[in-house]
Amino acid sequence: MKTFVSACVLTVMMSLPALSATVTNKDADAAVLVVVEGESRMEVAISAGGTESICPSGCFITTPSGDRIGLQGDETIEIVNGSAVVK
Amino acid sequence: MMSKLFAAFLCLWMFAASVPVMAQQPAVNSAQQPAPEAASPQAQAAQQLEAARKNLERLGDLATQAKDDDSRLAELKVEVDAAAKQIIGISVATRPRLDEIKARLTELGDPPAEGAPPEADVVTQERKRLLAERGEINALTGTAEDLSIRATKLSNGITATRRALFSNTLLKHTDINGSMVMDAIAAISEERQAFTRTVGSWLTFAWNFKRLQLLSALFLSLCAALVLLAVTRRVFFPLIDRQAVSEEPGYITRLSVAFWSTMIPTLAMGVFASTSYFFLQVFKVLRPDIAPIISVTLAICVALMFVSTLSNAVLAPKQNAWRLVRVSDRGARLLVWSIFAMTVVNGLDYLAGTISEVMGSPVVFTVVKSLIASIIIGLILMAMSLIKPIVPAGETLDGQGRPWPRAVKLLFVLTGVALIIATLGGYVGLARFIATQIVMTGAILVTMYIGILTGKAVAKQNALADTVVGRYLEKRFGLGQVALDQAGLAAGLGIYVLVVLFFIPLILLQWGFQIADIEAWAYRIFTEIKIGSITISIVGIFAGMLMFAAGYIITRWFQRWLDGNVMARSRVDTGVRNSVKTGVGYLGIGLAGLIGVSAAGFDLSSLALVAGALSLGVGFGLQNIVSNFVSGLILLVERPFKVGDWVVTGTTEGFVKRISVRATEIETFQRQTIMVPNSLFINASVGNWTHKNKLGRSDIPVTVSYNSAPRQVMDTLLQIAATHPLVLKNPEPQAVFSAFGDATMTFELRVYLADIVNGNGVRNDLRLAIYERFKDEGLGAPFPKEELEPEPLPPGPESDAVAQQSGAAGPAETAQPAEEAFRRSGTQRRPRRVTVDAVGDKD
Repeated sequence: MKTFVSACVLTVMMSLPALSATVTNKDADAAVLVVVEGESRMEVAISAGGTESICPSGCFITTPSGDRIGLQGDETIEIVNGSAVVK
Repeated sequence: MMSKLFAAFLCLWMFAASVPVMAQQPAVNSAQQPAPEAASPQAQAAQQLEAARKNLERLGDLATQAKDDDSRLAELKVEVDAAAKQIIGISVATRPRLDEIKARLTELGDPPAEGAPPEADVVTQERKRLLAERGEINALTGTAEDLSIRATKLSNGITATRRALFSNTLLKHTDINGSMVMDAIAAISEERQAFTRTVGSWLTFAWNFKRLQLLSALFLSLCAALVLLAVTRRVFFPLIDRQAVSEEPGYITRLSVAFWSTMIPTLAMGVFASTSYFFLQVFKVLRPDIAPIISVTLAICVALMFVSTLSNAVLAPKQNAWRLVRVSDRGARLLVWSIFAMTVVNGLDYLAGTISEVMGSPVVFTVVKSLIASIIIGLILMAMSLIKPIVPAGETLDGQGRPWPRAVKLLFVLTGVALIIATLGGYVGLARFIATQIVMTGAILVTMYIGILTGKAVAKQNALADTVVGRYLEKRFGLGQVALDQAGLAAGLGIYVLVVLFFIPLILLQWGFQIADIEAWAYRIFTEIKIGSITISIVGIFAGMLMFAAGYIITRWFQRWLDGNVMARSRVDTGVRNSVKTGVGYLGIGLAGLIGVSAAGFDLSSLALVAGALSLGVGFGLQNIVSNFVSGLILLVERPFKVGDWVVTGTTEGFVKRISVRATEIETFQRQTIMVPNSLFINASVGNWTHKNKLGRSDIPVTVSYNSAPRQVMDTLLQIAATHPLVLKNPEPQAVFSAFGDATMTFELRVYLADIVNGNGVRNDLRLAIYERFKDEGLGAPFPKEELEPEPLPPGPESDAVAQQSGAAGPAETAQPAEEAFRRSGTQRRPRRVTVDAVGDKD
């Protein structure tokens, strides 16, 4: 039974869909990301503790710490101390 | 000590960091020219980015060169999109190194503040190095970012060019005037000469140097087409054979014959055309200047074949029994001819256009040829309005037809006039496009329509059984009527799918879309359909359905295994088994549903919103259902009754057949099934005759006249009870003197039974025995009597005894009114009386 349940849970976890990159701000302050998607360059503000879905088909972001990161579009990112942690 | 440890750790870390680099080096070296910078991942990424930049530049140049070539642009766009993805991929590959650096920088900590004691030199050095590397990676990603923007711009630019290209060619305006006609006439002779020269030289070349190849290519392609034709004729003969039947064949037969007799020769022709082109190409018989002409000629042959077989199939000018539309014989013949003529003109126009293109003739010549072709087609359309094909109901098809209805006639004339006006007004491209579409798209649509009609007719109930195929299946595989019907449904759906999958791309191709476009669309339809911020993927939904089905099957299997192997072997009570089985079933299906939903790509977190909205709905409307559902779960856990129990609730009484999640099925003794909502079982009191055990008491009221001796009666009753095999000895049977009536005494025989379900049979036996014994012993009738006067007893010792007893019996103060006694005993025994009746009814 346990195996069955854990197998099921595992399947659920694995089959969770990759819709777009999810960015969660873990900091106490709002974070402003520069998102380059397609032809446009835009700023996305994420409030403290907030979560935002960005760029379903790949993009580049610039984090508050100044690092530039390329995203494929299916990642989960956390902003910790102004820097991005890709899970 | 501390610093030593630190230094050692650093060394170790440096080594660990360099290992993957060392491992990568040979691969890099072998793949590209050995470069000292290739050692670090950054340098590698930089190289890749440089390559991507060059690639983009190349693609940009190609796009500029091919700005008039729609299909080439479509291919280029696919390449550019792939390049954009690749650029993102390159920068993603640098991410792990950046993470490492960041982690290491965090470990090193911030540089010491002013005034703080200075840190070790090695730490400062390393921080510097790491920061530099971080800057390098960021710069690289910045480059990638710019490149990605460039790629997207290029991709969008290509799309814009293509759009402009399409509308421009379609709506290109050409001035029609005398000089242009003169130019064209001058071009005729030039082109004719060029054409004869080219074709002649090619023919001489092919005959002299490639004779064997040319002949074998033709032979092979002919063979392929003949084999295809023979095989399909053999296999599909019943489908395409138009027998000269006297009576009219069935509608479905006519439809399918029309559909297949169009499809099969066209396919055979298509195979011939493509194989011959392929072989000519493979054997290098074709020359670049001849190849387009040959390919257009072959394509026109296929189109001609398609249109003429289709018009013949629909109109059947020679066999009016097979005609799909009701038109006169003459009308059908004329229509077939005019459609054929239009196709020929259109095809020749395209052939001439290609020849001009290959010969490098001036564009005006092509325009003039298209102009002539469009005018001819317009005239044919107008002439078609004069045909008289309509046959009124009740007249034979071979008679003189009537003219078209006014609307149709007007449509023909207007289309023809519009074509001619558009041509003469200079919109030759548009007119040519419309003329082609009238013929080709019209033909494709008609075929599609016939295909869909065939599918619909085949899918109709019992339609397949009447056809040749149905009879064959019946004979060959022994299919029954239901199976044939289902096969018909499946065949109908299959035909729909075939028609849609085959003809829609064909129409799109006709309209000038490119195969790459259609592929991209199909891919997008199957992988992601975007509606606002929601992305739906058909593949995902299929995967979800598959996952759900798999989960469902696994649940059922697990349920069976648990029930049959684990619980049956551990001698678990049936009720528990049933509860566990049902619970596991719901749990499994719920889980499978969740898995399916997530695999289908629906975000479960967005379901939370739905759940919030639903809870409001539950508050108002779905209250009952939810209450029943929860009650069902409580019933499964608490188990106040199990399947097979005899329960009473409200007015419903019977055996529990099934406990499901909303309602419980109860079968009454009349075999009526009643669905009792589960909440009733939770909210109201439920009687269960067989809850813990099946032991139960059954009562038999016995009424005798005051002539009988009560003790004797009671003794007799007890004796009778003791002799019955099903009556339990412990608890022992009781005989009770329960009431005084006006003229009768009421006794009750109370017996305990091991299985109360047998109560009816036992009571029946006991009543019979009581009657017989009382009659033998003269105890008086064991039932109430209407008349107050006791029956005159037969003379004998009993009558004396009765006479004696009657004097002593019946103290007036204990006698109660008969009605009251009945009512009281009635209310007291109410549930019991119900059982007696009910069981009596049941058996």
